[in-house]
Amino acid sequence: MTRLALERVTFRYPATEAPALVDVSLEVAAGEVVAIVGSIGAGASTLLLVAGDLAPRVVGGHLEGSVAFDGEGVRGTVLPTPWTQLSGMAFAVWDEVAFGPANLGLARDEITRRVDRAIARLGIEGLVSREPTTLSGGELQRVIIAGILAMQPGLLLLDEPTAELDPIGARSLWELVRALAREGTAILVASSDLDALPAVADRVVWLDRGRLQAIGSAALLGSEALVAASLGTTVASVWHGARLPSPYPVSVAQALQRWERR
Amino acid sequence: MGAARHPRGLTRLHPFTLLSIAGALPALAWIVPSPSGGLSTAAVALGLAISARAFRTAIFTAAPFWLFLLLLHDVPTTIAIGFRITTMVASFVWVVAALPPPRLVEAMVAAGWSASAAYVFAATLSAVPVLRARAGRIADAQRCRGLSPRGGPVQRLRALRALAVPLILSALHEVDERALALETRRLVPGARRTPLSPPSDHAVERVMRWALAAACVAALAWRLR
Repeated sequence: MTRLALERVTFRYPATEAPALVDVSLEVAAGEVVAIVGSIGAGASTLLLVAGDLAPRVVGGHLEGSVAFDGEGVRGTVLPTPWTQLSGMAFAVWDEVAFGPANLGLARDEITRRVDRAIARLGIEGLVSREPTTLSGGELQRVIIAGILAMQPGLLLLDEPTAELDPIGARSLWELVRALAREGTAILVASSDLDALPAVADRVVWLDRGRLQAIGSAALLGSEALVAASLGTTVASVWHGARLPSPYPVSVAQALQRWERR
Repeated sequence: MGAARHPRGLTRLHPFTLLSIAGALPALAWIVPSPSGGLSTAAVALGLAISARAFRTAIFTAAPFWLFLLLLHDVPTTIAIGFRITTMVASFVWVVAALPPPRLVEAMVAAGWSASAAYVFAATLSAVPVLRARAGRIADAQRCRGLSPRGGPVQRLRALRALAVPLILSALHEVDERALALETRRLVPGARRTPLSPPSDHAVERVMRWALAAACVAALAWRLR
């Protein structure tokens, strides 16, 4: 079931000539993880803002085309800088996570249930009494994600969600993303953690200067074009560097299989 | 923040009561004849500031006003206006120190205000400490780049510019990002937020608030007769 559908979307920020997105069409189904890859300025963050109904409604600008959301649950967006996502209205991490559910007007029992579950899923039980402004970037990132999860979004939009996390934290987060997808959440994620994506993403979208260049399975991260654009996985890049034939493997497991078959 | 989460002393009062006191004192300072009226209200406001450990901030904030008044007016006028301005400054500094914005939002939401309106109101109180902390970080960063706030007026002015420009620009940038973050967490106009731990509002405090308002009106009527 399609949860998000973008149809020929072109978007311009206010007072800019060049569009940030050009003629982008994309669908994300319930239970699907779609990863957006691209260089800086490719339009990945803008695509998330458009998908999250934040652009042009909040940031301004002009949108052509259509963005349809099936309305199941809310659209939750996690932005890349955790410090600017604090509500500023919470004494403690628990209150920070509860900020979104409270704004939904839910009953207190339901808020408590959702907040406790989100905190457990992010493994931040030890932080619940801490003041949010005293947390490290990685801790804060997990708190912000917990705050969005507690709103039970039908569509989750993640912009560089692992940027502040250590390798263990990043791995846990990607496992959580897969678990959420299994529960039916549609997930659109922009990430430069390219090596993690083959295990996480059902589909990969390559954006370049606002245009959709290619869309396909995670194997796209091993295509010659993406490797040439420095957007392939490390394994694919090594395979390419060794002048081995394309398409390149995207993970160590794939590389081993291919190597043994040679 | 632990103290703010479990308020003690005067800060235990309902946020509306704290705001009423902070509003009534400056009102009375301007209504009641000076210097005795202004002196009394300034003394009370400064006493409150001491109780919230904000006395120094209040004094340092009020001091420049006295200086400017002295340059512009004679001594009796300076004293008359100075006490009134000190009351305003000390009351504001006290309420900022004594009233954590989250408590105010909870109280306003429990009283039926929309969450976004409550947030805007409370953000005014939280802006001062946030900007002060940011200014400190920017000053540290500029010092690392060799900028010294010491020296003659020209050097100090240059240092001030190097502090003020990034402070304003970063604040504006953060406003944009915070607006997106609040929007995605559904702090939208008309949102009916569930108060998580609304502060208790006792009948005695409600009477006290009305009494303060009545005192201001009575003082005004007395002055106008």
